[in-house]
Amino acid sequence: MDTLIRIDHLTKAFPGQVALDDVNLTIWAGSTHALVGQNGSGKSTLIKVLCGYHQPTGESSATFFADPAHPEGRPLVLGDAATADAAGIRFVHQDLGLVEMLSAAENIALGVGYVMRGRRIDWRKNSDRAREGLAGLGFTDINVDMPVAMLAPSQRTAVAIARALVGWEDGAHLLVLDEPTASLPGDDVQRLFAAVRRLKERGVSILYVSHHLDEVFEIADEVTILRDGVRVTTTSIGDLDHERLIELMIGHRLERVVQSTRERTGATGGLTVTGLYGGTVAGVDLHVEPGEIVGVAGIMGSGREMLVPLITGQIPSDDGSVVVGNTAIDNYAPDHALASGMAFLAADRKTLGVIATDSVRHNLTLADLRRHWRRWRLRHDLEVVETHEWVDRLSIKTAGTEIPIGALSGGNQQKVLFGRSLRLMPSVLVLDEPTSGIDVGAKEEIHQLIDEAARNGAAVLVASTDTDEIVRVAHRVVVMRGGQMVDELTGADMDVGNIERAQLRNDSKAGTK
Amino acid sequence: MSNDTTTPDQVAPAASRGIVNRLGFDRFSALYVLALFFVFFGITEDNFLRWNGSIEFVLTEKVIVTMLAFAFLVPLTTQTFDLSIGANMALSLVIVTKLGLETDLPNGVGALIGMAACMVIGLLNGLVVVKFGVNSFIATLGMSQVIAALSRLIHDGGQIAGALSDTYVNFGKKDVFSFSWPGTGSEISLPYYFFYGLIVVVILWYVLEHTPLGRRMFATGGNREAARLSGVAVDRLTWGSLVASSALAGFAGIIYSWKFNAYTSSVGPPLLFPAVAAVFFGASQLRGRPNVWGTVIAVYTLAFGIKGIGLRYPREIDWMQPLFEGLTLIIAVGIASRQAIIKVRKRKGNTVTDVSPPEVNAPAATET
Repeated sequence: MDTLIRIDHLTKAFPGQVALDDVNLTIWAGSTHALVGQNGSGKSTLIKVLCGYHQPTGESSATFFADPAHPEGRPLVLGDAATADAAGIRFVHQDLGLVEMLSAAENIALGVGYVMRGRRIDWRKNSDRAREGLAGLGFTDINVDMPVAMLAPSQRTAVAIARALVGWEDGAHLLVLDEPTASLPGDDVQRLFAAVRRLKERGVSILYVSHHLDEVFEIADEVTILRDGVRVTTTSIGDLDHERLIELMIGHRLERVVQSTRERTGATGGLTVTGLYGGTVAGVDLHVEPGEIVGVAGIMGSGREMLVPLITGQIPSDDGSVVVGNTAIDNYAPDHALASGMAFLAADRKTLGVIATDSVRHNLTLADLRRHWRRWRLRHDLEVVETHEWVDRLSIKTAGTEIPIGALSGGNQQKVLFGRSLRLMPSVLVLDEPTSGIDVGAKEEIHQLIDEAARNGAAVLVASTDTDEIVRVAHRVVVMRGGQMVDELTGADMDVGNIERAQLRNDSKAGTK
Repeated sequence: MSNDTTTPDQVAPAASRGIVNRLGFDRFSALYVLALFFVFFGITEDNFLRWNGSIEFVLTEKVIVTMLAFAFLVPLTTQTFDLSIGANMALSLVIVTKLGLETDLPNGVGALIGMAACMVIGLLNGLVVVKFGVNSFIATLGMSQVIAALSRLIHDGGQIAGALSDTYVNFGKKDVFSFSWPGTGSEISLPYYFFYGLIVVVILWYVLEHTPLGRRMFATGGNREAARLSGVAVDRLTWGSLVASSALAGFAGIIYSWKFNAYTSSVGPPLLFPAVAAVFFGASQLRGRPNVWGTVIAVYTLAFGIKGIGLRYPREIDWMQPLFEGLTLIIAVGIASRQAIIKVRKRKGNTVTDVSPPEVNAPAATET
């Protein structure tokens, strides 16, 4: 196979910290190269140097081999957006950068310009071009004239990829995908992969950045592992297994923890859900007893994605009851749920969890300020003390209690939100995708927090698309299909294969979507 | 650019930034500008530093704008705009004046009726914003015209003066203290309403910064849905803040009635701009978000600046005042946003430690 780009001795130093230290990276033509590492390992800095946002430091150099005029390779200036563009290196960043109110055709035109007829925009040709570009990725079902805000997540990702590629049919050499599946539900990931494989067939190389190691094994030919700004190794994906990859990423063996089995005691209390209806949920009955951790699995549309929002009052339910201990929770009333002893984390940390511009302290204490209300004053000093305690207890990496929570990494933000819930001493803890977008190391720490909460007597419900996670934390798992809980797995039956088979089993019930 | 993450000692090498930090040019810029006005106009204008020349005038006159600015500030903490405050101020004023002119009701009762009417408007604003889900900007902009119509129904144009009793006016206008400054013979005095205003300042500062209520209001403004899922009653807070806003605007009208004992149809709405400007200018001060003392500082910095200009260019002040107010707002907020942008870039470069921004000039567009 031919080399496409070779990067040598890439170094990027910020005052007081070396983000990338002498990293070498070779990308082959027509291959999919995965870039993995924990948060802070230097992945994003590397992408930012490639796209020209950061300038490299020192001896860094790169050579580009796809220029027919220079078969022996020509130097590529790093840290310059125009050079990267001219070399056919295209980027799809994590948040996609689409303009919500514009159509797919218009978003694509933002990249390459509109097709003009004289001085006027030729709308029909624009739409045709967008349709062609998307069809090339295998997406023929997108209405290119509708605002992208109305498209499904996988369709939006496709539009972003198309925007990166349209107008570059022959010139696109390397497509950089930064966490492209971060906002994709499980089934949509497969559509994206199909598109990636089509590109590969066209000879485009892919640099694929992801936290999801399963995806890396599925899609990548080669993988480069970064840790603390240093390249640990580059190797063919066939030479690695899951455990070994994690070990290389975090620098030591991760003990594979499996949840111990736990017999139901028949205790009352905890969380009781009866006849719950709303959205894709169509009649759920469930009891989680104190000290028990119940996992909820199910594909998108199975009702799994709406179960926690309905239980916690994030969205209104149509029918049914939710009881915490002996208290029936009012419909659509998160404040009532909290007051009754239920604490919860919503799935989308950014929009439903953190108040990004507010400090770590304010975010932590928001759900219960009364304990620091003394003599007609909110005692900020006591709050600071408590915040420090939680920062230590949850090993939150932060430069202080007063910095905006938005400046923390995703895993640390999530830990602050865990603190927000745990300090309420909840009798019921309800978690939705508790570790989405969080790296391997922080993930295990959060799983241990879940264990601890259950040991302290909380009834815990965990809904997750991450089947590994469910196996790791849950004492028993219920599987949803067609809005109902149709299977329950415990003990030795509770493994990834069984859960995924149960999620996809086709039966007459699963047809409400 | 404050260094949240390092002590001033650690940034000593970057001498210039260290000094900026220590003197607080960023967080107290308005106070420095105010000091500059006092030095400059104090030297050039004889009347500027005299109590009766300008100080008393500015201190008392601007109590009204301060109250109106608070009326804008309170709902803004929950990310709700109330643009009906100017009209609301006029409503309480026209009610108390008209009742004083045409009925035998004690003026104090008339004032309470005026305040009550404003609070009813606040309830309606809340109904439209919270229950009907209309964008607060639109809802209150529309409401301001409804209130204007109401005011005109109550009094059809023209001026009313001297309709209020001395007892009523003295309740606000009487001097709390009055003495002669030794040597100059200057009469130093401040009226009751100045201190009423001061009490409102302190109460509002206490509520917003030192109670769970204030914390919850700012949380609502920061991320409404996240706040709701943390048990904050966001709808009730929004609604309540609109009622409080109307009450404050009504109180501004009452102070106006004490101070001037007059009503004309041009009172009220024109004060919306200075009030809003003071809140945003004030938000660039002290804490980097809308806050009570920053607003007070902003009101008085602008006022002393305008007074100084008025003394120096008495004939041009008519057009210079709006120019000065407008430019100050743009420049102050512009500087504050620039600092916010630099901070954000710093954090993107490195999430943990303080990092000088090596690529401030890099185009931001390539970032995302």
